[in-house]
Amino acid sequence: MGKTSKTVQINMDNQRLEVHRGLTILQAAESNGIYIPTLCAHQDLSPFGGCRMCIVEVEGMRGFPTACTTPVEEGMVIRTKTSQVQAERKEILQLILSEHTSSCLVCDEKVECKEFMGTIRKAGVTTGCRYCPNDDQCELQDVVDYLELDEIGYPVYYRGLRVEKEDPFYDRDYNLCILCGRCIRVCQEVRAANTLAFKQRGRFTVIGPAFDRTHMEAGCEFCGACVSVCPTGALSEKARKWEGKPDREQITTCALCGVGCQMRLLIKGEKIIGSLPAQDPVVNSGQLCVKGRFCVTELVNHHRRLRKPQRHQNGTEVELSWNEAIEAAAAELSVCAPKQFGMLISPNCSNEDLYIAQKFARVAMGSPNIDSSTRTFYGHGFSAYLDLFRQSAPLADLEKSSDILCVGLDARFGRSVVGVALRKAMKRGARIVTINPRPHNLALMADIWLKPILGAEAGLLRSLVKMTERKNSTSRTRAKGQGRGLTQDLLTVAEMLKNAHSPAILVGSEFLQHDKSWQIFELVGRLAQNVGARILPLPAQNNLLGSILMGTYPEILPGGFSSADEKKARQFKKSWSVNLAQFSTGWNASALSTGPRLKVLYLIGENLPGFDQLADFTIYQNIYSPDSPTVDALVLPSAAFTEADGTFINGEGRIQRVRKAVNPPGDALPDWEILCRIARKMGKKGFDFSSAGQIHREISRSVMNLGRFHRPKRKPVPLTWQGRVNVSRPKPSGKVKDGKQIPFLLHASSAEHVYRGFLLTAFVEGARQIFPQDMVDINPKDAQKKGISQGDAVVVSCERFQETWTANIVDEQPPRTLHVTLHQSASLGANPHRVKVKKKDV
Amino acid sequence: MKTAAIDRILERYRGDSSALIAILQDVQEEFHYIPEEVAIRITEELDVPLSRVYSLTTFFKAFSLTPRARYPINVCLGTACHVKGAPRILEKLERDLGIKTGQTTPDRTFGLEAVRCVGCCGLAPVVTVGEDLYGQVEPAQLSRILKKYKEAGSKS
Ligand code: SF4
Ligand code: SF4
Ligand code: SF4
Ligand code: FES
Ligand code: FES
Repeated sequence: MGKTSKTVQINMDNQRLEVHRGLTILQAAESNGIYIPTLCAHQDLSPFGGCRMCIVEVEGMRGFPTACTTPVEEGMVIRTKTSQVQAERKEILQLILSEHTSSCLVCDEKVECKEFMGTIRKAGVTTGCRYCPNDDQCELQDVVDYLELDEIGYPVYYRGLRVEKEDPFYDRDYNLCILCGRCIRVCQEVRAANTLAFKQRGRFTVIGPAFDRTHMEAGCEFCGACVSVCPTGALSEKARKWEGKPDREQITTCALCGVGCQMRLLIKGEKIIGSLPAQDPVVNSGQLCVKGRFCVTELVNHHRRLRKPQRHQNGTEVELSWNEAIEAAAAELSVCAPKQFGMLISPNCSNEDLYIAQKFARVAMGSPNIDSSTRTFYGHGFSAYLDLFRQSAPLADLEKSSDILCVGLDARFGRSVVGVALRKAMKRGARIVTINPRPHNLALMADIWLKPILGAEAGLLRSLVKMTERKNSTSRTRAKGQGRGLTQDLLTVAEMLKNAHSPAILVGSEFLQHDKSWQIFELVGRLAQNVGARILPLPAQNNLLGSILMGTYPEILPGGFSSADEKKARQFKKSWSVNLAQFSTGWNASALSTGPRLKVLYLIGENLPGFDQLADFTIYQNIYSPDSPTVDALVLPSAAFTEADGTFINGEGRIQRVRKAVNPPGDALPDWEILCRIARKMGKKGFDFSSAGQIHREISRSVMNLGRFHRPKRKPVPLTWQGRVNVSRPKPSGKVKDGKQIPFLLHASSAEHVYRGFLLTAFVEGARQIFPQDMVDINPKDAQKKGISQGDAVVVSCERFQETWTANIVDEQPPRTLHVTLHQSASLGANPHRVKVKKKDV
Repeated sequence: MKTAAIDRILERYRGDSSALIAILQDVQEEFHYIPEEVAIRITEELDVPLSRVYSLTTFFKAFSLTPRARYPINVCLGTACHVKGAPRILEKLERDLGIKTGQTTPDRTFGLEAVRCVGCCGLAPVVTVGEDLYGQVEPAQLSRILKKYKEAGSKS
């Protein structure tokens, strides 16, 4: 013998079982289909042994050990349901319930009420009582049913705690809490956010953050993991509180950023009532961020969803049938010359939509004018940013990385799944460095925070690049323009990266709208080459890569080919029989307001300010009604990502399936379908598609292999496309004449919580609490000098604009600088802006 | 002042996160409570979450989040002491200190608590002040005892 075998023989409820050594009795029972009631145990969490519901009898052991904490041993004889065990459990359950509002558990009318709702009331009621948001989905109810408990033999003690509703997205009613500790364990073990803990003790024990802070103040990421694991109704999602039990689910891909998390949509009837993480090992390992977890429902169910095609004309709105709308569109488009046509499509759309859109512009309209608002979002750094993908690596590589540099990344709300991966890497011993001029959630956990002086961000990276060049010895390179402490840190980081056996660089959004963004991204690329690091860019748009590879830019053809590549261009013209002299004529989205006026502008999922002024006629195709009444437009209702089939390509190059969960509201249709119908009406060939799958097949056949529609490829596609977008770099801003001090330097960033051109904050109530709107960050000293207090209205002005924002005093905001996040920062012009600040007169 | 003291305490344990409870004990001793900013400082130095520090400080009676008296007075109201007249002692102390049981004097010198049996019933009635124990206390002795601590308190 001597060798311990991998399995042990046990006897459970008179069955002989062979189970893995190291399993708990509970796991052994579950894997053999034996039910043991539990309340505090959870498959993803460490055993806790707090509720004692899982007690069993084990021969030779004293008392009743808890199955969730006791490992199996060779020869163990276990009984899980003896009458004594059941009686004990009942006793314990009553003790638990004596501190729990239990009307829904032991009400006399329980069974009848569910079926007939016959309880006598003064008014006619057809709904039955609903005391708990978790009714019908509650693990406590399950255990009560299993033990057939119908009364509580102890005096009931109601704790009378205030229901906590101040935080966004979920409410907390700790009167329903059974102190199972699951929420704490998931927050600590799985999310590593450490927001929650037990407080006080004995009968005063409650759950919450330190010092009675709100979850918002305590750094909660609103990932909802705690809400998901809570066995009771103590934690409940505000938006889903009284929706009840879903009747089906659909697995799909989140469309709210380029991580591409896999999610489960909960559906009741024809309505999406919730979204939960899917167990997906490659991308998000069972986690979501606040956008995916809590924003989808409100986003797709909002009353501003468009349901019917409409014709807007001088303030009047007329509803149309699809036939009328398609005819109207075809009529306008048939008489529009290619040069006078322009189309913009959002990178939130699926590959199938994007492909059809560019085909529509190029083939049906014979026009080269197709583009996307991403061009203005990324501005002059677009091309350099896209180049980073050519050195990119899958997210899962974070697991293997020894040293991780985060460039301008904040992972508290958006992308918090990446934050979770980072904390896991840290626990494993990886070192984390973060470069960011502003406060962000990685600052506390990182080993080193490189905090560049404003305006010297590119300089900092340049120093790092120099220090890591092979021929240079680190110690002799001086970092110019940075403080001394920073130089020391830079040397440390450079050494670290040079010696790292597997370094990685994560790129977030802080620098996307930076005035030197292109330099910053080029330097990141060079740094990665110097030290052999993988780059993981985390784009804000879910299908940015799809828009490149489907070719929705004048410079880029499907497959990512350059439209200047004569051979490819000829091939395309031939295979599509396009009658088009040139693919790229210099027209792009930035020419909309400055170039020659268009006759027809076709917007798909795009929402530009004052869009109806940009052309004689606009086709506006989106999921929400336009922000303001339009002068002259055809308004067409689209399906959201939850209502249409298709594929996305996430930031890693992974092709992901988007699945239709419910029908679109009213008459809304998928974007590709509307486009195909119009094209057919115009008598164009090549648009005879009746499903997204057919389009997918055409792409795979004639452009690039995306794999099978129903089972997309497992490996990311190679990100080595050839086309490049042309961006113009801003002229270096002239030096200020000496003696003349610049009043304030303002940097504006663009919001990322955007779907199809709209801010999430407009549709999701909780989002307003976590994403600041029109808040301008200012240093406390500057604020004091200007007599500005937190929350004051301030006027920020220069020759080109004058804006009123709300003051947000931030210690870390560098002196004499301001920062603001806007829907579209490009609306102010290029960063940075020299501005004056004053408190608004009242 | 707080910074220097907390530096000294942290130095003693050299950022060892397993020493969290010991550190909190030292902080409690130094300040007679765990000030919020000190708790935050500890989390930064030891890399432990604030929620954990808070959880511990509220779990153990030895820690307090509000300033505690320098000399907590505990009057035993266990059976033996009760019989020997402890309630009168408590009453007298309330009057002398001008506070109710459970409160602390405004200068934070004394705090007054009633406790159950402190385990030396032979000495009933029993009063403890800080670390010191007084047995067979007569109400008349109390002012002398209090005076002693008042003086000690004002000297340091
Ligand atoms: S929402 Fe997430 S971060 Fe916030 S308390 Fe729950 S588990 Fe922790
Ligand atoms: S809130 Fe829910 S998960 Fe947390 S301890 Fe209470 S019952 Fe358990
Ligand atoms: S990280 Fe991105 S993909 Fe994942 S849930 Fe959040 S928004 Fe959706
Ligand atoms: S499930 Fe085992 S003790 Fe709670
Ligand atoms: S009753 Fe007071 S010491 Fe025992």
